[in-house]
Amino acid sequence: MSIVIGIDIQPIDEVESSVREFGSRYTRRLFTDQEVDSCGNTPLAAASGLAARFAAKEAVLKILDTSVSVPSWKDIEVMRTPGGRPEIILRGEAAKLALSQGVSKISLSLSHGGGVATAAVVAQISDPLGKENS
Amino acid sequence: MSTIDVTIREILDAHARLPESVSNLGDDDDLYDAGLSSHASVNVMLALEDAFDIEFPDSYLRKGTFESVTAIRQSLESLGVTAAPG
Repeated sequence: MSIVIGIDIQPIDEVESSVREFGSRYTRRLFTDQEVDSCGNTPLAAASGLAARFAAKEAVLKILDTSVSVPSWKDIEVMRTPGGRPEIILRGEAAKLALSQGVSKISLSLSHGGGVATAAVVAQISDPLGKENS
Repeated sequence: MSTIDVTIREILDAHARLPESVSNLGDDDDLYDAGLSSHASVNVMLALEDAFDIEFPDSYLRKGTFESVTAIRQSLESLGVTAAPG
């Protein structure tokens, strides 16, 4: 087993600008309804949360080998546990890639301040599909 | 330069947030090497959809689609775009 880390940073004003210019076309392409609903009602209020979630999706993509296929943005979803901790849920192509590459137990940390949002993910990688190292 | 390329370059200048004008880049120059971020590529995609009245399928939402002016033109052509909007 090994540990991999993915990290990403996203300027919040870029997300706010995109929300203002493209509206729901922008949010629908990148975020699930749950993600949008959890980030606030106005572009300004939502921008920091959406920026953190975009950074999280990018951080996850950095630990997956996407040379074969690229997951949809919405295949990587940020949710909150009942205790309030952020967690990553993988679906569709992202879940298939993670399974085939032995990626499991992804931990997520989000932060924002100073005009940027950051996300870091840590994941365990075991032998994919039960294959053992020789 | 084709009218499609002119429109692509106008959109890149407006939405790609590159540190230099796209006029300084060749058709095959790598836009990611020139400073295109994943987030900016989403804005480029949405602006292209508006300009050419198309919608990129999810299968096109990969780095290769937006890596150069040539790659963008080829992606548009594969979606049936034959000319810039009138």
